[in-house]
Amino acid sequence: MKRTPMQSLVLYGTVILLAALILFPVYWLLVTALSTSADLSQLPPSFWPENAQWQVFAKVWEERPIPTWLANSMLAAIGSVALSMVVSVMAGYALSRFSIRGGHSLGLFILTAKMLPATLLVIPLFSIFRSFGMIGSLWTLVIAHSTLIIPFTTWMLKGYFDTIPRELEQAAMVDGCSPMGAMLRVVLPVATPGLAATALYAFVLSWADYAYARTFLINAQGSWTANLGITTMRGEYTTDWNEISAAAVFVAVPIILIYLFLERYLVGGLTAGAEK
Amino acid sequence: MTRARIFDLARPSRQHLLGYILLAPAVLLVGLIIVYPLVISIDLSLQAVKLPRIGAPRADFTLANYEKLFSSAEFWMACWVTLKLVCVVTIGSLVTGVSTALLVNNRFRGRTLARLAMALPWAVPEVIAVVIFAWIFDSSFGLMSWLLVTLGLSDGMVAWVSTPGAAFWAVAITMIWKGFPFVSIMTLAGLQSIPADFYNAAKVDGANVFQRFRWITLPLLMPVLGVTLVLVILWVFRDFSIIKVLTEGGPLKSTQTLSIMTYDQAFGFFNFGYASAVGVVTLVICVVASLLMLGRETRAMY
Amino acid sequence: MTKFFGRSVKTMTIAAMLSATMLSPALADTTLKFVSWQVDDAGTGDWWKAAIAAFEESHPGVTVEFTKVERAAYADTMTTLFAGGQPPHIVHLASFEYQSFAENSWMENLGPWLEKDSIDTTGWAGQGKCVWNGETACIMLNYFGFIMAYNKAILDKEGLAVPTSYAEFLDVARKTTKDLNGDGITDQFGTGHETKGGAGQYLTEMLSYILDAGAYWTDADGKINIDTPEMVEGLTRWKTVVKEGLTPVDMSAGDIRKLFADGKVALRLDGPWLYGTMQKGAAAADTAVAVPPFTPPVGGSSNVLGMASEISDEEKALVWDFVKLVMSPEWQRKYATIGKNTPPSPAADVSGVEQEVPHFPLLIETMKAAAAANVDRIPTGLEIQYNEFGKMVQEEVQRMLIEDLDPADVVKTMQARAEAIQKG
Repeated sequence: MKRTPMQSLVLYGTVILLAALILFPVYWLLVTALSTSADLSQLPPSFWPENAQWQVFAKVWEERPIPTWLANSMLAAIGSVALSMVVSVMAGYALSRFSIRGGHSLGLFILTAKMLPATLLVIPLFSIFRSFGMIGSLWTLVIAHSTLIIPFTTWMLKGYFDTIPRELEQAAMVDGCSPMGAMLRVVLPVATPGLAATALYAFVLSWADYAYARTFLINAQGSWTANLGITTMRGEYTTDWNEISAAAVFVAVPIILIYLFLERYLVGGLTAGAEK
Repeated sequence: MTRARIFDLARPSRQHLLGYILLAPAVLLVGLIIVYPLVISIDLSLQAVKLPRIGAPRADFTLANYEKLFSSAEFWMACWVTLKLVCVVTIGSLVTGVSTALLVNNRFRGRTLARLAMALPWAVPEVIAVVIFAWIFDSSFGLMSWLLVTLGLSDGMVAWVSTPGAAFWAVAITMIWKGFPFVSIMTLAGLQSIPADFYNAAKVDGANVFQRFRWITLPLLMPVLGVTLVLVILWVFRDFSIIKVLTEGGPLKSTQTLSIMTYDQAFGFFNFGYASAVGVVTLVICVVASLLMLGRETRAMY
Repeated sequence: MTKFFGRSVKTMTIAAMLSATMLSPALADTTLKFVSWQVDDAGTGDWWKAAIAAFEESHPGVTVEFTKVERAAYADTMTTLFAGGQPPHIVHLASFEYQSFAENSWMENLGPWLEKDSIDTTGWAGQGKCVWNGETACIMLNYFGFIMAYNKAILDKEGLAVPTSYAEFLDVARKTTKDLNGDGITDQFGTGHETKGGAGQYLTEMLSYILDAGAYWTDADGKINIDTPEMVEGLTRWKTVVKEGLTPVDMSAGDIRKLFADGKVALRLDGPWLYGTMQKGAAAADTAVAVPPFTPPVGGSSNVLGMASEISDEEKALVWDFVKLVMSPEWQRKYATIGKNTPPSPAADVSGVEQEVPHFPLLIETMKAAAAANVDRIPTGLEIQYNEFGKMVQEEVQRMLIEDLDPADVVKTMQARAEAIQKG
């Protein structure tokens, strides 16, 4: 199918305009970081600061333990990815392959994790984690984040497993594989795109968290995640927006990079899940 | 039958047992993280508690929190605001998400790049998104006001936080920006799973682009959109940091959703019993809404 | 990173084994947790850090972990820590929020401790506000008076003098509110008030006008006293200033202070902490401070120091040593020299401080004026409900501004709603 030049123009025009609109706030974050506070309180706003304050990045990097924050966020995210993948692969596989009585209700039950307001969750959760002696440890985040992640990833992986023919496992079992072995050695390799999509989704959700980190880790500065660190930069008397924005850029870059590399798997992995 | 045979999961009759075992971790994890807090919350909502102490002896049973709740205009106002916000954000995200997905589903040079750009806000953490939008919606030096004045759409700078309508839209626009990419990603996945044969057959039958969308794309997208919709709605219900930072629920409670009300009552006014009642009612609403959305086609979710 | 995993694996194993038993935090390496919102504040933050260093030096093996929690998230973080059973040892709270914690018996009664060391708190500014249910729940850290900062350059350009009364203040504010570049948008403001960022602050911003009009929220016995002609006058003044656009709207306190420091605001009423921001601003050379044109000046208790009641006796003894340290005349003097703030202790020798902090006598003067008029930001009789009350007043005032209501009607609504809140 060939497009007329007019159609191409409209298509490209729309795409560019939309992309600019959508990406503008991210660009604005960079501009804010590079502006002085006097630049910020001025109209008309400058779309590129006259003398961009690039040194703000060095300043923030020096003054705040940004590498530690990022490393903690990274650890919590990797842990959440690992835990939620193991759990949701198992659950997704079970829902896909076995006719489980009440499977649907159990699926909905898992979804309630996304329903109770966080305000009510924090105090009881704090007390649970405290009784396990885990307050201040990143494991609290791994567990708490996973509950937010698995309702969706279980659904996604169930859909993916549904598209993989059962004959694959049956053949393996005839060859002497146990049901678990068949799942691990035969089904999972085929499901790689689905797993990659799960991993990205889990990573993004974990990276975005602030409420849980604040509740469980506030008293353990060595475990602060990036989002928690950023919010502590807000002062009671004054807030340096350019410095917060610079720190926010540091936090946004890794997640955006990861997203850029894994995005194709996300849609690919979801595609099978979308087939009903 | 020996002990070993009972756990021989390869036996067809034992297979469903393996199913339960595989499902157990997910259910246990959610159980641990949700059920205990839920029980505590329901329990607190039935007591006159200002500040809770986990493990303290419970106060007397009372329905006063719920009585106060259902007779309070503030609660119904919060319900109304939540409903409005859920509708606006869901519809906004849906329209933007589906149309961007349809757009980048076309084949054109640079499509991969466009696809990345369209869904990028999804990866930006909310904490950072609110930093950005708080500046864009600043009432004195914000870009949005300046733009509206420059375009002649407004006489003066818009007081985003102290004008009820403006505050609502500032919140809604921020949430749509943050919420639509997920819809877009899901729609794109859904679109790619629709076999091209369907479209070709429809074209042979002479269906135009709108007819093809109405009769092929939309019905085949429905299961995916259903799930996406539920997730977006639950997000709007629970979300708190965007509103808290941008407007704090004001002015005149015009952006005070149920989750903001829960927060204010709990940590602002130290009325935990009452806050728990609001939270429990929110949960009930969420459960009912999810069942309604997913119930029609019960297998849509799992 | 490996440490994290090593320790965490251990934690998980122990947790799994002892899931039923409670694990109390290890005491071997005595660490006192101290959460505060002032960690990074110029002045007070430096004072805390210096005091902690001195404390650690005199107590080998003891470390104080000084953690910042932003003010906006402070109440919920502290509530969670206390409710979850792991409060910080050294408790730092705002003077309007400690009451709820004390009410729950979460704060140690400091009365016996003071008695044991025969420390006399007579004349300690604002200490009376720390007495809750007959017990000394805390030590008042700061009692302050408002000052007025002004921008000399802006005033000189219009040929205006520093205002000394509300009428003059209004006149100056009107004449200095300007659209400098002619684009139809005001870019220089006569004054600046915070109207975003919490009800408590909103009330404080209005209070200058209200006190000067002779009104207040409650009387000395805690009876709601809003429906008065004086309050109508106070609200009318606030309405005038906001409605005429003499202040930027929807700004948080931090942004307003920055704006003033950068030379976009002519007059700003604020606490002693404004000075630190002023000095760092772009217009540092043009800004100066004076006595507020309002009598009495806004003043009051700011923040308090206490001790968690649910910690071990050894920890309590250590926390008490720390409290004693910051109460000592030496560190109270340093509250002025390092903290650039008015120390509450009557024993603090503040002579010569004006060499380092030139406006220090002014701070003392307004603090004394506020104290003499018995002014406080937290109304008697509404301590526990302060947040709820504040939110109500803010809402009704916003309604007055948005719907252009008559202040005479607004005070009636506020009176009724305040009475309902007080009853609970």
